[in-house]
Amino acid sequence: MKIHNTRGGRVFDAANYVFLSLVGIITLLPFVYVLAGSFANEAEITRRAFFVWPEQFTLSAYEYIFSTPAFTKALVTTVLVTLVGTLIQLILTVTMAYPLAKKNLRGRKLIMSLVVFAMVFSGGMIPTFLLVKDLGLLNTYWALILPAAINPFSLIIIKNFFQELPDELEESAKMDGATEIGILWRILLPLSKPVLATFALFYAVGIWNDFMSPLLYLSDNNMWTLQMYLRQVTAASDLLGTGNVDPSYIPPEQGIKFAVIVVATLPILIFYPFLQKHFAKGMLIGSVKG
Amino acid sequence: MTAPVVEAKASERVAAKPPAPRRRRGFAVHFAHYKWLYLLLLPGVLYFAVFRYGPMYGVSIAFKDYVPFLGVNGSPWVGVTNFTDFFANPDFPQLLGNTLILAFLNLGIAFPLTIILALLLNEVRLSVLKRTVQTLVYIPHFLSWTIVASLSFLLFALDIGPLFQFVNGLFGTNVDILSDPNWFRPLIVLQEIWKNTGWGTIIFLAALATVDQDQYEAAIIDGAGRFRRVWHITLPGIRSTIIVMLILAIGQMLNTGFEQIYLMTNALNRSVADVFDTYVYFVGITQGAYSYSTAVGLFKSLVGIVLIFGTNWLSKRFNQSGLF
Amino acid sequence: MIRRKHTLAAAVVVSAALALTACGGEAPASDLSSVKIMAPFLEAQPPTADGAVQKKLEELTGKDVNITWTPNASYEDKMNITLASSDIPHVLVVQGKTPGFVKNAEAGAFWDLTDKLKDYPNLKTTFPEVQQNASVNGKVYGVYRGRNPIRAAVMFRQDWLDKLGLKAPETTEDLYKVAKAFTEQDPDGNGQNDTYGITIPKWGGLGTNSPYDLVETWYGAGNRWAERDGKLVPSFETDEFLEANRFIKKMVDEKLINPDFATFDSTKWNEPFFNGKGGIIIDVDSRASVLINLFKQANPNDFQNKVGFVGSLKGPDGELHAHPTDGYSGFLAIPKSSVKTEADLKNVLTFLDKLNSKEAAVLINNGIEGVNFNVVDGLAATIKPETPEGKAVNTDIKSFAQLGTNVTGNNFYPVKQASEYEQKVFDDRVAVMAKDLKSAVYNPAAAFVSPTYVAKGAQLDNIVADARIKYLAGQTDEQGLKDAIKLWNTSGGDKVKEEINKLWQDNKK
Repeated sequence: MKIHNTRGGRVFDAANYVFLSLVGIITLLPFVYVLAGSFANEAEITRRAFFVWPEQFTLSAYEYIFSTPAFTKALVTTVLVTLVGTLIQLILTVTMAYPLAKKNLRGRKLIMSLVVFAMVFSGGMIPTFLLVKDLGLLNTYWALILPAAINPFSLIIIKNFFQELPDELEESAKMDGATEIGILWRILLPLSKPVLATFALFYAVGIWNDFMSPLLYLSDNNMWTLQMYLRQVTAASDLLGTGNVDPSYIPPEQGIKFAVIVVATLPILIFYPFLQKHFAKGMLIGSVKG
Repeated sequence: MTAPVVEAKASERVAAKPPAPRRRRGFAVHFAHYKWLYLLLLPGVLYFAVFRYGPMYGVSIAFKDYVPFLGVNGSPWVGVTNFTDFFANPDFPQLLGNTLILAFLNLGIAFPLTIILALLLNEVRLSVLKRTVQTLVYIPHFLSWTIVASLSFLLFALDIGPLFQFVNGLFGTNVDILSDPNWFRPLIVLQEIWKNTGWGTIIFLAALATVDQDQYEAAIIDGAGRFRRVWHITLPGIRSTIIVMLILAIGQMLNTGFEQIYLMTNALNRSVADVFDTYVYFVGITQGAYSYSTAVGLFKSLVGIVLIFGTNWLSKRFNQSGLF
Repeated sequence: MIRRKHTLAAAVVVSAALALTACGGEAPASDLSSVKIMAPFLEAQPPTADGAVQKKLEELTGKDVNITWTPNASYEDKMNITLASSDIPHVLVVQGKTPGFVKNAEAGAFWDLTDKLKDYPNLKTTFPEVQQNASVNGKVYGVYRGRNPIRAAVMFRQDWLDKLGLKAPETTEDLYKVAKAFTEQDPDGNGQNDTYGITIPKWGGLGTNSPYDLVETWYGAGNRWAERDGKLVPSFETDEFLEANRFIKKMVDEKLINPDFATFDSTKWNEPFFNGKGGIIIDVDSRASVLINLFKQANPNDFQNKVGFVGSLKGPDGELHAHPTDGYSGFLAIPKSSVKTEADLKNVLTFLDKLNSKEAAVLINNGIEGVNFNVVDGLAATIKPETPEGKAVNTDIKSFAQLGTNVTGNNFYPVKQASEYEQKVFDDRVAVMAKDLKSAVYNPAAAFVSPTYVAKGAQLDNIVADARIKYLAGQTDEQGLKDAIKLWNTSGGDKVKEEINKLWQDNKK
């Protein structure tokens, strides 16, 4: 579909492109600084307030963090837990959202109210911990996946999205003898790719950035995920100036901090472009109907 | 010309609704008819029962003097003292005021900006640019508040920070933005916009991807311009997403976040910086008053649930769309 | 990859605990073949469980050691969760007398070790006053982790001092003169008025060893609490407190201190010093070596005359009131729910006794002789170049040192510094600290825990801490500062004073 562009439209386009490019640069620069800093030595980071290219290139920060197998292991663990966890969480959310989208299903309002209630109220850290422990999930990766399996917020949005889909799609499928599960699988899910991609991303990022679950549920540091290391290096130096820190403690060098941030952030950043193709237009309702 | 389309769809849906089954026997029929749907519902319901409602007894901590060693059940009851202490606290009005002002600023500025950015991105037809900018704007979400704070210190550093010079040049002033109480809120909102606007666009972009393309073609044939197309097709197309997101944001509005505000607070701006979340940190973590901070959290949740149900009700009355 | 079994050791502990409960507490003493410890780590990563240091430690103590290393950033959260669960370690590193810890201790979570430690040669402290500081109103709930109490130092640009022909400061008045000269006499010789004296970053509450606290102590305001007319009063109620802050304010007004002291990012504290903007830092002495390292990294051939330092400064009364810390950094506590009987307690204490033996102290602080260090002239010299084994040990000991208690003094070797110059600086530091120790002004109320302070202290102290900064920044006058102190009293401080004085009097009897 080619949209004819007026002169005003072209001016708008040009201004929009310039503006968005600027926004892109503003959001990118700090990360570039972190990246450049991870390859610079402490003296350079102390001397130069902000830079995007180190004068003296050094790999020492990366050598340090990869000097033991711990980091590599955590990286692999985090990627695997994120992939498996995202899949499980997404499946559970979609299967619950689909029936709730049926306006004439009884009990739906009650369940939705309870979901919203659970979104706002929670029992807190300690009872949840005791539950995870009683279920025998301590020191298993299930503890990182199951307690947060269905995000009420995601559930509500996915449910609303299903509700928006035109009913005639289902009606015609039913006439062809499809079951409810068949409709969900063969008709709704392909239509919902942008939404599923979005929530796959949300869930993946949720697991990836989760720090409290591994902290509380995994005592064995062989099982740790990257966030444990990330928080350790970024939070430790924050304590300075609060008097809460052991006076003999010397914080890790800035370069190491930056390198850990890069290692812990880059993989999840790369995840997005892969999902992005599902955000493309044209494959959606309009074209299906036509 | 677009509104009738939406309404037509809605009326179709109402018409498609089967006649309401009756009473108890009716429910058996209903259940048999929808057994597959109920089966699909089961894992989710189980999840909520076990993982969300199972630990809910922990709320009782708010009415106890909780000591971790004694456990939730072993700690003594103290009734509503934690709540009365909180409301009677001389700082309470200030905390409430600061929290509400920040909440409304975030809701009134950061929230619409997310939609505007999503719309601007949606208007880009140069695929490379669109994809690149989309990816870039979501990077800040992954940088911790620590990094955001240290960048702010750098950019607004007294006398030498580039943004210090820019802002003071703009207003012809010479104030230390980092410590001036008047600048605290703009600074917090600015950080929030920088960090999370791009991330927030994702959900609107997904919604925008589902807007019916046929309508645009029809609108173009009618000679509708760029702005009119956005106003009459795009925005109505994502209206329900906007409403849902708004209701959810309103429900969360008292959660201003702890880390960001804590990092930007100092002795000179504390009078405007203290909010519920930082207060909970001080009382709960620094002073070990778990029950007290749970009580504050419970109060926030109560306000949140009232706001959600209230706005949902309002929205349904005026728009017929809401959370549930 | 998802499913994982509990570690064997954990299972042993759990079944041991179950067996104990089954027998109703009258069970025969288990020999606790495995000791479970929870400890924080401060490095970028924790040691590996099968590392050489851990193996050696197990050999030395004759126990299986099972350590749960927990990131320092959220240690208190994990500790509270752990105490609420039934899977509690035998030894818990507690990082300080936080209100949370005090509550748990008073509820009976930990063994009272007050009369027990003296029976163990390596746990019987040679610094009873530090043990008293670490106690809760005289009750000892753990083996404290000893730290050198004297840490306060004034670090300055030696090259600037030399260029201006000045002497290292000895008194607070000298500090003023040096700061003024650094600000006004172009110490870097670039012809521009672009330097200042002292850099002070944004700092938290009272009594956190901030530059303000240090100057106040030097002025004679005491350390957190001071004795006046037979009673303890908070330092900020002394006249010396006001004098000290007038002195700091004079320096702020004359622009001898960075004007953004209320907001300056504490993680960037080294920057102005290194970049030749601000020539003085008042902080713990270990920062001197961090600064020297920066200059060394920038120019390995010319770094020896950049950083000078002295310890505490003499006050206006001509006396030295050195500022010490409380001399400890948390303690190793023994939870009652995992160590149920006196016999088990003996077992754990014997383990801790061995952990503080000379061999173990050397192991966890220096490493393994011949692998990562050699003893040269009584100093531990790191073996260079590092072998992979040596490197692993060097990394691990940084975390294992967290288990060191050193209640009988440091039984390990001081580390040999990288160069002759750095060795000299290190020796100077030791000498300065030894000198200041003789004039240390301790916090007389360190051991006392007032219930009101536990409940409200952090908020109360903020009132005065904020007023102090506002006064220095010129946003309030001296009357405003005095009003804030009055507000501290009326908001609950009166009660804190009462409680602390009572505890103090009771303790004297």
